[in-house]
Amino acid sequence: MPLVNNKVGDDCTVGTDKALVDGKAQVDSLIKVVACYRHLASYVGGCTDSLQLRDELRQTREKALTLAVSICNHLTSHLRNKSLPEGQRKEMELLWVAFSSSLELLHVDMCKVFNISDIFSLANTDALVQTGLQGGGSEVAARALSLPDLNLAPNPTLSAGLESQERSTMEQEISQMDHMIDDMEMKVNVMRWMVEPHGPQYAEVLSSSDSASLALLSVDEEQPGHQPPCQRSHIHVLLLLFAVVLVAATLSVCIIFFT
Amino acid sequence: MTIRNPLRDHGQRYRPRIACLKKAEKVLLEMQDLKTGVKSQPQRLVITTIPHAITGEDIISWLADRFQVDTQEARSFGSMLVALGYIYPLQDHKRLVIKPDASLYRFQTPYFWPTQQWPVEDTDYGECDGSRSHFISHPVTNTYTFPYTIKAIYLAKRNIRKKGILELHEQEHYNRLHKWMNHKWDFIVMQAKEQYRAAKERKKPDRVVFDCQERAYWVVHRPPPGTVSAMDYGLDRLIDPNADEAKTPDFYARIMIFTQQSIMRPRVKSSVSIGALVKYCATYNSHDPFLSKCLPSNPWLTDDVTYWTLNMPYVEMPTKMRVERWTFSFAELLSDPRGRNDFRLFLKKEFSGENLAFWESCEDLKWGEAATMSEKAEHIYKTFLARGAPRWINIDGKTMEITVKGLKHPHRYVLDAAQTHIYMLMKKDSYGRYQKSPVFKETVKKAICPEEHHFTDAQLEQNAKKRRPSLSPIILRQMEQEQRAKMAATVDITQLCRFTTPVPHLAVYSGITDFPSANASPSLPFLAHSPACPSPISVALDSTSASERRVEAGEGEGEGNPAAQAAAGGNVSKSRMALSLHRLLKRGCTPATMFASLSPKCHSAAGTSSRIQPISPDQPSQAPPRRIGNFFQIKVDIPPECRIYPIESEDEDEENRAASRGGVGAKEIICPWESLTPQNGTG
Repeated sequence: MPLVNNKVGDDCTVGTDKALVDGKAQVDSLIKVVACYRHLASYVGGCTDSLQLRDELRQTREKALTLAVSICNHLTSHLRNKSLPEGQRKEMELLWVAFSSSLELLHVDMCKVFNISDIFSLANTDALVQTGLQGGGSEVAARALSLPDLNLAPNPTLSAGLESQERSTMEQEISQMDHMIDDMEMKVNVMRWMVEPHGPQYAEVLSSSDSASLALLSVDEEQPGHQPPCQRSHIHVLLLLFAVVLVAATLSVCIIFFT
Repeated sequence: MTIRNPLRDHGQRYRPRIACLKKAEKVLLEMQDLKTGVKSQPQRLVITTIPHAITGEDIISWLADRFQVDTQEARSFGSMLVALGYIYPLQDHKRLVIKPDASLYRFQTPYFWPTQQWPVEDTDYGECDGSRSHFISHPVTNTYTFPYTIKAIYLAKRNIRKKGILELHEQEHYNRLHKWMNHKWDFIVMQAKEQYRAAKERKKPDRVVFDCQERAYWVVHRPPPGTVSAMDYGLDRLIDPNADEAKTPDFYARIMIFTQQSIMRPRVKSSVSIGALVKYCATYNSHDPFLSKCLPSNPWLTDDVTYWTLNMPYVEMPTKMRVERWTFSFAELLSDPRGRNDFRLFLKKEFSGENLAFWESCEDLKWGEAATMSEKAEHIYKTFLARGAPRWINIDGKTMEITVKGLKHPHRYVLDAAQTHIYMLMKKDSYGRYQKSPVFKETVKKAICPEEHHFTDAQLEQNAKKRRPSLSPIILRQMEQEQRAKMAATVDITQLCRFTTPVPHLAVYSGITDFPSANASPSLPFLAHSPACPSPISVALDSTSASERRVEAGEGEGEGNPAAQAAAGGNVSKSRMALSLHRLLKRGCTPATMFASLSPKCHSAAGTSSRIQPISPDQPSQAPPRRIGNFFQIKVDIPPECRIYPIESEDEDEENRAASRGGVGAKEIICPWESLTPQNGTG
């Protein structure tokens, strides 16, 4: 009997382990998508705002929502399972917290994009704010959708119908998210103060190679307004050098000439 | 134009949060227009160039041009745009100001605009369409703590990029957030990593721009310590004043009261009211620091507090502007503490200081604590209103009647009628004389007119650095109380009339006065001044009640002066005064003990007998003993000799009673609201 029990237990734990791993993977990808969505959202209303960007936003949003729905079902079913062992339950709750926070982030970003697209309609490109950005969000979107390359079909021309259709879809999606969040809270009772995180307080430094962008910023800071004179001084130095080289060359030519 | 909810909000018009944000957005959209906006240039960095950078001087000149204002104002406006977060500086990113030189700025992306921080809560404000109202504000998602999550992610991200880059206050924030949102920490770190990785997908210049944008956003919304944030908007409204209110009976009762009061309100023709407004504006135009120059300089603009020090409440020498304001209206004079002191000085010279003292004590009653209200009312009555009160004020019989009747059940506004009467008296009579008086002329001559400051920019920066917080209100209140105590310590009894019981604690209302010197010498001046001090005799003459006159006359006769009935109250007072002073000199008491013992509230004066007794115990016949009943008599529990001049009742058979009682030296002034018992000798 114990053997049988163990076996059942093993199956159970194996099952939930797999479920945990699954859930973790899904939550991770949701977090990634949400992060990418945020980056894309910062393009909206700026000078690089375009139909393509909106399209990318839409796709990212859809991906996020599908992920969210599946995680929701997954986690809800597992957390409502009373026979879940304690350790697993804790892990699930951690995932739950991460999931709900990502949903909040996504909700906020979606609302922001909705508001901004209200103010900035693509029909009037003059009104788009000159933010200094040059590139579009294609690479970020590609990362979000986990596609190596984002090959979008050329978009149809902008029409009023398209924009309002977009708006209504967005509204629907936002309300869908609202309901999902509400449902979540109704169905599963996770006490947030009981959840303990695993990770360290400070995340480890990911890479130092990107200090280049920091360097750009710091250079900017240290020499406020000094850029033009600095470059001018570089040019002066170069000219001086050039002049010295010239003089040396003529001198040597003269020497050769006279000897 | 429709006025929404004309009745229900009762003046609580809808006040959106920082309404200037919407307007700033419109201006910004104009500014960034390629053709008509501020011209942009590329920003050259070491490796790359980033477009759309604008210089500070371009911004200022564009604003000055667009709004037709001068450079200084355009500069302030530009700084406001930066402080709100619509434009961010590329160099010196922590100081959110516009510098009128070639320093560079850039427009903030709409994602980071300040209006975006209230996406869900603001759905019902302003011109929203119904479609947004279904965005539910979740208690779970908790829009109040959410910005902290984002901040935590931002700080974690910066930490990931380079450890140790967080400044001290950011470090503290980080630790605090970690403690508070511990359960989410895994998520926060993961999200930070993902955002960081996603950013790496972007091109280098875009990454730099995004970093700048995010950094600027956080400088605006979580300013470093010691800086002023433009996003402070005061208290959050908990309810929307324009939201629908539940129709309870209370709600309707409130509306009924409001409409009834609206009907009862006195009406004024619009031409009259507009005329008054125009006159007010014309008079105060040069005194308004917004509309005209503030001498020496406006502290809010130049950070130099000379203006405030020169205009302290009790300053020795007021400024010319302040003195000029006193001539505008009597209310101005009284509301300025320095002006009131001046006026008090003048009244002291005119010997009508009790008016102002009464007015001040009424104000004290109106605005004071409820606990001490009835004592205060009693005290005021004994001091100012009662017959034979030490500082008796001259109000007409009708008002006196109303007041006294009200004093039976004293409340805050019981003395309103009397106060108004006295106020009008002072305004019509004393105020005019004050403006022509030497006191005022002297003050005008001594008033200072400070030179205007002309600060250079460097000096302005110095001033800004030297900014210090002003005196704490607690200290100010202590100073005021000390001042008042000082004033209270010196009571002027030259103002008191013959039936005086100078009361030390009464001094709160008496203003700065000299301590009474020995009475012997001032006796004659006293007599000379007595007409100015309305004696009960003159009141008796004013009043309509015949019995009082008779009683007075009786007492006067009793004193041996048959001329009591005559209008020459001065004679009677003279005689009485002479009598009392004579008694004083006879007994040879020191003033101090005498005065102390004369305090109506003094219980301990048993031993010392009062020297000033208007009615001596030798003449018991005119001691109208206390009548019970509907009358205002101040009952004072002091020994017989100390009793002050009694209040006679208006009763016709007072005399008879007085005769019958006899032998009672006990005169008491009994307050109407106190229970009265028949007098006996010892009281």
